[in-house]
Amino acid sequence: MSRAIQVRVSESVTRTVHVEDGVAAPLEMLPILPPARMAELLAHELVARGFVRDGARCTRSEPDGLEVTIDLEAATVAVALGADVQLDDAVELAVAVAVESHERAEAALRDDARQVLDDRLAARTAALQGAVTARLEAKVAELKRELDAAIGRATVAALTEKAAQLGRIEETHLDEAGNLTIRVRL
Amino acid sequence: MAEPARVAASEADLIALARGLVAGQGAEVRAMLRRPRALPRMISPACARLLGDALAQVWPALWRGGATGAGRPARFWQDHAPVGLAFSVATLQLLRWLLAGRAVAGKPDAAAAALGAAAALASELPLTLGDQVMVYLALDATAGTAVQGELAAQPLVRSAALAWLGFADRLGGPTGCEFDLLCRGAGAIVVEVLAPALARRWRTVELDKRGIAAPDALIALGAAQDSVLGGFMSACDRSGRRDLAGFVLDAAAPLVHRAIAPLPLALDPSATLASRGAARLAAGALLRGVATWAAWDRAHRGVRFIDDDYPTAQRLLARFEAISPAGAARAEAWLTELAALPTVPGPGPAGTVDAL
Repeated sequence: MSRAIQVRVSESVTRTVHVEDGVAAPLEMLPILPPARMAELLAHELVARGFVRDGARCTRSEPDGLEVTIDLEAATVAVALGADVQLDDAVELAVAVAVESHERAEAALRDDARQVLDDRLAARTAALQGAVTARLEAKVAELKRELDAAIGRATVAALTEKAAQLGRIEETHLDEAGNLTIRVRL
Repeated sequence: MAEPARVAASEADLIALARGLVAGQGAEVRAMLRRPRALPRMISPACARLLGDALAQVWPALWRGGATGAGRPARFWQDHAPVGLAFSVATLQLLRWLLAGRAVAGKPDAAAAALGAAAALASELPLTLGDQVMVYLALDATAGTAVQGELAAQPLVRSAALAWLGFADRLGGPTGCEFDLLCRGAGAIVVEVLAPALARRWRTVELDKRGIAAPDALIALGAAQDSVLGGFMSACDRSGRRDLAGFVLDAAAPLVHRAIAPLPLALDPSATLASRGAARLAAGALLRGVATWAAWDRAHRGVRFIDDDYPTAQRLLARFEAISPAGAARAEAWLTELAALPTVPGPGPAGTVDAL
């Protein structure tokens, strides 16, 4: 007659996961001046907003990990947010088996424990991914407003420059709604 | 009086299936496909002759518009002389697969052999235009059934350019097909005949797009549509038959005029922003077709009275009026909106869109 024993297995895991999300989009700029000049005016506005210019690219890294890259030549913006997180978890499983089959039972139990840990980490990684996406979504909304303002100011500068090419600017008025009036003597 | 031809019962089913597909009897075809049957390895000469007779009706059926329910093309017979359609053994393989092959998919070879059909429709030889029309008709007749999905996965079907043109949404993924055969000779006539049905189908897909929730599904759909429209419109351009791509305008025009943008309103909010952004871009495939037409239109406006292709340019200018430069500008604005940085989604409209 075989004797019953309890097999107990403990497994733990430490894993560093990297989750990230990002999106890219074109920048909508009116072609008032040649593209190179429009890019210069936009770059000027971006630098004033904390971007670092490197040739045809303006970048800004924020403390929370948000990376914003603006390609002035291609007139595109790319936003990315990533996070590295160390996940720790442990599990302990036990089963009562006949003493003759304890090796097989232990191996099976160990597989089960690893599967449980994998499933838990996958769920935690998915939750982290969701959190990163939600943060990015909120950041993108803010960035969109900021870029719209920068593009608006670059457009005003371009219009003023264009008007100066046409004649002598006598008066410039920008109302609260953002409407620009430039009076030019030809 | 000649004796009526005698064929085996299974052969009669093959012939009835061919006749049903050609006549556009979708309900009858679907009923036949519900009960798979065993087929002998070979068909008799009488069956071959009757199948030939059935397939000879494809061309008249297309011209009548009966096969697709597309409606009769206006004065079509005045523009084109009748030409023949060639069929190869692929059409017979298609019919056999529909009747027996589906039933043996996933079964052992012996079971497949017992039913007399291959489990998969292989693509070994280039399809003739007639084969492609039969593939198209089979996909059309099986619409709304699981058979259509199984059929769309077969290599033989996926090698038919006409199938991609009509059912890019069902076949999925980028096409590897060349579309030149459809832009000259009988192929061009087939596309002209099917144009109303193509426009209707592409428009329906465009409306359905708005309700797709899974970004990956929309990305796959967009990749298929982009590759099909890109390949087909390039082939039209190379062949000097830009008019064949007119169904793109007819598909988009009612949507543009009624301001029904292909904005995916129901994308899964738990998906990454990257995949949602890619899905939004993919949703604009038909609009990119309209943008290609708009670029063509600008070129047509520059053709002078003394130029050789002035009459063609004038016809194409008139064709573009289906959507008009204002409509094309609206489509362009939608493309810009689809490519823009996403805004935080609101509750979304509660209304529904009626079929056009």
